[in-house]
Amino acid sequence: MTDRSIRMTRRAALVAGTAALAMPAVVRAQGDPIKLATLTPLTGAGGPYGPVMAKAAAAVIEDVNKAGGVLGRRVQLVSEDDQTNPEAGVRAARKLIDVDKVSAIVGTWASSVTTAVAPLCWESKTMLCTVSGADSITQLPHQGYLIRTQPNSTLQISRVGEFLLSIGAKRVFQMIPQTPFTQTSIKTLEATLKKGGGDQGSLIYDDKKPTYRTEVDQALRFNPDAIFAAGYTPDTVVLLKDLYRAGFKGKVIGLAYSINQKLIDQVGQAEVVEGVHTFAPSPAEGATAYDRVKKIVGMENPDPYTCQVYDHANLVLMAIAAAKDATGTAIRDSVRKISQGGGKTVDNAVDGIKAIAAGEKVDYIGASGPCDFDDKGDIIDCKFRYEQIKANKLTLLKIA
Amino acid sequence: MAGWANYLVFIVATGGFYALLALSLNLIWGGAGMVNLGLAGFFALGAYASALLTINLGVPIIAGIAGALVVGAVGGYVVTMSTTRLRGDYLAIVTLGFAETIRLIANNEIWLTRGSDGISGIPGPLKAALGGWFNVAYAVGTLAIVGLVWFLLRRLDLSPYGRALRAVREDQQVAQVAGKRILRFKIEAFAISAAIAALAGALYGHFNSYVAPDIFQPLITIYIFLAVAAGGVGRASGAVLGAYLVIFFLESTRFAAAAIPGLSPVQHAAIREMLIGLALILVLRWRPQGILPEQVPPAPRPTPTT
Amino acid sequence: MDSFLQAALNGLVAGTILALPAIGFTAMFAVLRYPNFAVAAFATLGAYGGWMANAWLGWPVVAALLAAFVLAGIVGGLAERVALEPLRPAGALTVAIAAIALNVIIENILRFSFGNDLRGYDLPLARDIRFGSLRVAPQQVENLMLALAVMGVLFAFLAFTRIGKAMRATADNPDLARLKGIEPRRVELLAVFVGAGLCGVGGMLLGLDTSVDPLTGFRIVLSVFAAAVVGGLGSIPGAVAGALLIGLAEEFATLAIAPTYKSAVGFVAILLVLTLRPRGLLGERAY
Repeated sequence: MTDRSIRMTRRAALVAGTAALAMPAVVRAQGDPIKLATLTPLTGAGGPYGPVMAKAAAAVIEDVNKAGGVLGRRVQLVSEDDQTNPEAGVRAARKLIDVDKVSAIVGTWASSVTTAVAPLCWESKTMLCTVSGADSITQLPHQGYLIRTQPNSTLQISRVGEFLLSIGAKRVFQMIPQTPFTQTSIKTLEATLKKGGGDQGSLIYDDKKPTYRTEVDQALRFNPDAIFAAGYTPDTVVLLKDLYRAGFKGKVIGLAYSINQKLIDQVGQAEVVEGVHTFAPSPAEGATAYDRVKKIVGMENPDPYTCQVYDHANLVLMAIAAAKDATGTAIRDSVRKISQGGGKTVDNAVDGIKAIAAGEKVDYIGASGPCDFDDKGDIIDCKFRYEQIKANKLTLLKIA
Repeated sequence: MAGWANYLVFIVATGGFYALLALSLNLIWGGAGMVNLGLAGFFALGAYASALLTINLGVPIIAGIAGALVVGAVGGYVVTMSTTRLRGDYLAIVTLGFAETIRLIANNEIWLTRGSDGISGIPGPLKAALGGWFNVAYAVGTLAIVGLVWFLLRRLDLSPYGRALRAVREDQQVAQVAGKRILRFKIEAFAISAAIAALAGALYGHFNSYVAPDIFQPLITIYIFLAVAAGGVGRASGAVLGAYLVIFFLESTRFAAAAIPGLSPVQHAAIREMLIGLALILVLRWRPQGILPEQVPPAPRPTPTT
Repeated sequence: MDSFLQAALNGLVAGTILALPAIGFTAMFAVLRYPNFAVAAFATLGAYGGWMANAWLGWPVVAALLAAFVLAGIVGGLAERVALEPLRPAGALTVAIAAIALNVIIENILRFSFGNDLRGYDLPLARDIRFGSLRVAPQQVENLMLALAVMGVLFAFLAFTRIGKAMRATADNPDLARLKGIEPRRVELLAVFVGAGLCGVGGMLLGLDTSVDPLTGFRIVLSVFAAAVVGGLGSIPGAVAGALLIGLAEEFATLAIAPTYKSAVGFVAILLVLTLRPRGLLGERAY
């Protein structure tokens, strides 16, 4: 209640402020809007993820516009479909860059699309924020025009390994489709487990098949304490069902972007997914952005990609506010000024923009992590939230 | 250069790759009455061949492209060997499977293809020297190659060989009776066609500097069928025109879809793809001869013997 | 040895998922003489049809399967009448290409209406039954029974009913059938209704194991084509044999080669069969 009343007064203050500046605000609103774009997969293999990502970015921008925009300008969002295909992605990106003249593109998902689109972005000085996990992406010569919120696979998988050891799983079987991070994932888990006295078996599967019975048999012959299901939602659904049918009683862990609320609803049967562990990049305990994402997209357990696109939109908007300039280069140069380095902690662009306008230094703590970036554009560190499915609900175990 | 002009140059170049694919399909569909539902697979063969030759072996780009032509032709030969004897429906299914298999190999044989990461940093001809004018020069060069291929195919079409191919298309039995060696004709035509598709792939790779398995999905094959059907099956200039119509259609629907209010982005995307399918059926139905109908050149009159 | 036997069992189970769409595909081919490449979309439609009946209306599984059959069948029939039939004068390949376009249209109508979210049936999943070290899924045994039952019904229909006989006659020789006073259009429409309907039933069964989304049918489509070609395009028993064979081959490939190449197995099987036995294992007669 107090929270709400505080916001009410803020809003009241804002209304008053806008009223006082009404004339110039209208004039400015008629000026050019600031243009941003989402380039997410709306069709093809990434189809289950892209739509809600576009929705999250749109919600952030709507909030900012309601609060008066950035630099007195309205923000306009253009959403294009990359079709989970670099050829289509590049065509869409050219249109966004050359015709719409967007300052930033957020939300590219498939590593192949990001790799294809990135050169267009750095050549045209457009900022690119991505959720792609392949290690090679931040090694591209992007001159700073690329940041990613997805922890690279080495960081991510070594944490999985440590967590598995901590819950007593020493023999782990990894089942993973062929993706850009498959090799890293297998190598990293192997190394982490062996360091803790464990062992790994692994199998790379074809992600478009209707059943994985023989694959599951092969996994069970390894006699694992735990199975690491490292695919995406459509294939992980099949895998979990076949593990249940095979009567596997050990532990199962998967990535939260794959084993999400939608997967639980799809399976619809508590026993099949009971006890399954998930993990996702996260800010430290007590951070509030995650709860804001829940509200903004109307989901109880928003998946990590949705959280990351929420962060992209907020980071870009605050970087524009801090630079007092909406070009891609301005965003590149000032994004680290608002994402890290101390200052007032903010979890959304509306508050951030206001604080920046008041001359304060801000430090954004996002929904997917603290969002601090190194020179290559990788996140410096993040915590992980470990959750477990209990009675068809994802329940938080710990953030560490 | 920036803005609209840049975008249009890019579209002209991309349209050129589509045009080559359309010329490839037109040669066998229009020319010999066969279909190739695995166009994306041959496109991929060429793109990977040229990229790997130039990056791994360091051969000049022109040699990489020549290599792509050879690999494409060999691929086409292998695919048709076991199927041409049979009807077109078998060939359709085989080529469909071929394209998926190529994509699977590109995804899994990491030692060769770098897997789903794809190959980035493929060199472009004179890229450093041309600087900001690279795209313009490349678009012009692509158009020139399209023109050259068009010219050669036109020559082929007007030659006795072209007439023989058409005879195969119109009636296999008659052609056989007339002593045309159908099987050889079909395999040759398919191999040439596959080489042209591979050429499109090679040019695509050197332009975009990146190839990955995700690029070669079946949808691109449908685009090309639409291009050839819209332009007029059997007419090389129709195929080129059709390719540009398709790319214009693909791009303009972005702007059109955005104009429909109240729809989510995923609904816009669904409408755009739906329109492609709808256009193909409508073209086949209402304009089966395409915009530029085929002109069958009259056979040379037999010289009167005295 | 156990792993070999288990893979064989798994292969049969995987094959049963392919069998119904393969029968549907081949039955349409037998009568209409063109490959209807829209089978993936028909399967997806069936998955959604069954899902709506089950999750929205609370229908039990058999009734939902019927809904899947009817929805896919009606859409298939309508599409045949409106979109494909008028193209027939242009030749079988033109119709086949239009069917691919139809596939894209249906997939995206579903995407427009339902989004890309994965949906699931409100039906329980059962654990496998064990025989010593081997295991079998009860649901998948039901699938096999169902495929066999459908095949039996189809045979009876083709062998004993008037319209069934007419269908066979049309498949064998449309011109002769017309002379005998059979109305080929009715027979063709029926073939598409039944064929697309079977794809729909197969799609729902597939959806039970996987999920209902715009790409559900896409998961099996290449294996279905392979099954039909391996068995002999146009032969219904051939389609069943082909489906089981492809299912087995895919599972053995998982053990022998690499699980990632499962999707290529169908292609290799097609090439082998076309080279060694060009008319398929069981020839091309409808039954």
